[in-house]
Amino acid sequence: MSCTVRIPSPLRSYTAGAATIAADGGTVEEVLASLERRFSGIRFRMIDEQSRIRPHIRLYINTGEVTALSQPVLAGDIVHVICALSGG
Amino acid sequence: MPLSAAELSRYHRHLSLPELGRDGQERLKNARVIVIGAGGLGSPAALYLAAAGVGTLGLVDFDRVELSNLQRQVLFDTAAIGRAKAEAARERLLALNPEISVVVHKLTLDAGNVLDVLRGYDVVLDGTDRLTTRYLVNDACVLLGKPLVSAAIHRFEGHAMTYLPGRGPCYRCLFPEAEEGVVASCAEAGVLGVLPGVLGTIQATEAIKIITGIGEPLVGRLATYDALELRFAEFPFTRRADCAVCGEHPTITAPLRTVASCDTADLSSVHRLTPSALRDRLASDGSRAALVLIDVRDPQEFDTCHLEGARNIPVAELARRVGELPDGCTPVFLCRSGRRSLTACALAIRAGIGAPAHLEGGLLAWASEVDPTFEVARG
Repeated sequence: MSCTVRIPSPLRSYTAGAATIAADGGTVEEVLASLERRFSGIRFRMIDEQSRIRPHIRLYINTGEVTALSQPVLAGDIVHVICALSGG
Repeated sequence: MPLSAAELSRYHRHLSLPELGRDGQERLKNARVIVIGAGGLGSPAALYLAAAGVGTLGLVDFDRVELSNLQRQVLFDTAAIGRAKAEAARERLLALNPEISVVVHKLTLDAGNVLDVLRGYDVVLDGTDRLTTRYLVNDACVLLGKPLVSAAIHRFEGHAMTYLPGRGPCYRCLFPEAEEGVVASCAEAGVLGVLPGVLGTIQATEAIKIITGIGEPLVGRLATYDALELRFAEFPFTRRADCAVCGEHPTITAPLRTVASCDTADLSSVHRLTPSALRDRLASDGSRAALVLIDVRDPQEFDTCHLEGARNIPVAELARRVGELPDGCTPVFLCRSGRRSLTACALAIRAGIGAPAHLEGGLLAWASEVDPTFEVARG
């Protein structure tokens, strides 16, 4: 199952600046694992040691909020990673 | 207060809008809006609000104008370099519109003054570049029942959202907390100069809508903007029942006193040790002797379980006890999740300790990866 992941600006240092990445997986967890295989360390910036989404991160599948990493991801979905920004 | 003849002329294009009209313009004239931070976001927001005829504009900023500000902070010109931002901004805004009043707050917002500063205003615009201030302002707005329009930027990306008391979620509902040092600042990461122009103008738009009661406010929606792709998007979010400040059982009932703001620039020299890296260093006699473990959790957390040889200096006490750190050793700061230990690193760096270390992921990560028998107390 192939989807697109939109990477927020603060995490693009992991993706060589790429804003969108094609990833595989039938669930959010699998999609993040797919990302991690290519961009080591990026998952830890989003998910904590207890497998919870970090409090300064939100994940959406298309426009629906992800509340559990087991949520299904369908082919063609866009997984949005939203990261709190601090600049003013 | 009714509009003068000069004002009727100045705001003619507004008066021609039936949605806004004379009543809306009088509402703007009678409104009091405060802008937190006369920076990239605050500059366009304040300029447009002044031009729009918001009767009283408050400006909070304690900085001085620097040359590197001028790439995006359009309130200032080259002649203003070295001047207090709040003062230079006041002059610029009054030159644009002498019909309004500009109130200058040359201070740093903190838990002790934030309620008093914001209390006198109808709408708050947050354009700060500090996370601690961002949460402080959000919490104060919830506690005071003030509308808040919040925006933030990073490189080519921006966010905006509006909080209306009783109408929707607050900033903490969106991001319950941000781990200091994880969210990079513009000073470190850079920012496209025109980016805050877009987001600051959105903030001014929201303020005008709130004051005049027109349109649909950006409540319960996070607006995102990617300048490189010229892409706007919005993401819904709802009020959290467990929100620490606006939830069913709030734990934040007064502005939080934070021990330090620790921006990323402060933390570039920090050694971030993974649990396995720390384990290896502790296992090596030579490396162990060069380290001192400082557990910055509260004493009751420390008493539950701590690493062998660790000393307890709660982060709230570290600033005054930093002299207790032994010379010639690298302090390794430990806490539950790795957040307080980063704050401790920032404090240590400010105290002259060049390269402190901290345990990435905290003792939770230690328990997960190195020692499953380690019992981590709740923070």
